[in-house]
Amino acid sequence: MVNERQEIIDGLIEVLRTVRTVDPALLENVTEETDFLTDMSMPSTELINIAAKVEQKFDVEFEDDDIDELGSTVKDVVDLILKAKARGVA
Amino acid sequence: MPIQGRKVAIVGMGGAFPDCADLAVFDKKIFTGQSLIREWPKAVEFQKQIRSTVSGYIDDNDLGLEPIYYVEGYDWPETFVDTLGRIPDINLSTADLGSVWAMLGSLESIRMAGWTKTETQSERTGVVIASGGAGNVIMRHAWHAFFEFGKKSRLAGSHTVDRTMSYREAANVSCLIKNKGVCESITSACATGLGNIGYAYRLIKFGLQDRAVAGGVEGTSIETFIGFDAMQVLSKGFSPAESSRPFDTSRNGFVCSFGAGIVALEEYEMAKARGATILAVIDEYFNNSDGDGNMFYPSYDGQRRLWQGLMAGAEIKPDVVKVHGTATPVGDIIELISVVDTLGEDGYHISAPKSQFGHMLGAAGSVELITALLMLKNQQVPPCLNSDTLNHEQEKFQQKDGWAGSQKPAEAYRHLIPQETVTKEINQVVCLNYGFGGTNSAMAISKDN
Repeated sequence: MVNERQEIIDGLIEVLRTVRTVDPALLENVTEETDFLTDMSMPSTELINIAAKVEQKFDVEFEDDDIDELGSTVKDVVDLILKAKARGVA
Repeated sequence: MPIQGRKVAIVGMGGAFPDCADLAVFDKKIFTGQSLIREWPKAVEFQKQIRSTVSGYIDDNDLGLEPIYYVEGYDWPETFVDTLGRIPDINLSTADLGSVWAMLGSLESIRMAGWTKTETQSERTGVVIASGGAGNVIMRHAWHAFFEFGKKSRLAGSHTVDRTMSYREAANVSCLIKNKGVCESITSACATGLGNIGYAYRLIKFGLQDRAVAGGVEGTSIETFIGFDAMQVLSKGFSPAESSRPFDTSRNGFVCSFGAGIVALEEYEMAKARGATILAVIDEYFNNSDGDGNMFYPSYDGQRRLWQGLMAGAEIKPDVVKVHGTATPVGDIIELISVVDTLGEDGYHISAPKSQFGHMLGAAGSVELITALLMLKNQQVPPCLNSDTLNHEQEKFQQKDGWAGSQKPAEAYRHLIPQETVTKEINQVVCLNYGFGGTNSAMAISKDN
């Protein structure tokens, strides 16, 4: 499963490269612990844009409640994608 | 109320102009009599769905802008990249195209004005900018994803509000330059551009602000274009350069164009004290309404009262009258006669710059004021392109009972409307703009003596 998580992180970084308010230099050392708000100085309004782009990228749809409770780290987003994928399969 | 003796100077200008990389190119093209109107590929795409396909439109590349598209299948820019590094990405992320132009014009105006950071960011510096239309491009795609595709609302992105709200241009400029004074938009359809500058003038004249960045914008939008196309009021049947024909007998509508015009205003004595270049002094601004209950039809009475109001507040003896002159069948000649009946039949020229760049809607008044500032600088009147033949017979409205204006046909005033660039002494220009709803605006500007 480690590989799947890494593949999702790689895809997430591809999404982040399309977000102009993210400094590309900060995408060099992204880990699961990286925090969008504090480590990437991202405006909180961008989080929802990233969620919408991630849905497109991974062909999943998140539940509104999950988005409402979404944390601001890479791990939080990876977990959410896996959860949505699992739901999709079921 | 106005403070006696307090004057307002224009100390900077900038914007976004069709088929021009910058203000210097705009200046050159206007005064060498060139047309900025071209066949618009975006309109041509729609083939028989659309009547008119000419526009004074702006290429993103010309302004150093690159659109970044959202995802495949969504033909709308999520944001723009400023390839010349003038606007930070965080500011671009909250801006629609018109707001980007407003920011570029504001930066250019402030640079020309020579304001320090402290002056720009003062509580005494305001921002008053608006556009005529809504954020149509962004809204259409946001709504389409929701209503037609049944997508979650978040697919519209988190910037639908800041990129479409009525005062988006003012908000984006204020967040960019960080002024601490007024930040507002005044909208009045096609009088918006002049109206915002007029309102900013009053803020300074009344002592509420010392400086203001002000103007009007109309961002590129096929959605806006088709609204006017539907009304059958757009020019049709001419080559692009011949499409905008103010006063000409064969005129059949205006050319829908896009752009932005921004000026920097400053209390006169402060500007003089710091050695600023004074582009012009604003003598007076006046606005009113027709009051006849007609949304569209121009009013001779409303325009005569407009002149009276303007003249009540200042000495008005213009060398040039920059008219609204859209090239619609009725509007041009009513306006021509209201000018002539006010000023007489000689001693000034009439300039209709829409003949060169079309009708920029919410930006019209401000871009045309910039054209008037260039007239003062160059001491030249640009030509009224395509005003080839003026009617030698009376207009129908002149034959109606109750018509109170001149009985002469338009041809009697041929000498007022130059077909080539005229060089002459120009000390004062009066600018006129009107909008749907019967709103009328007039501003007089003079060279600094």
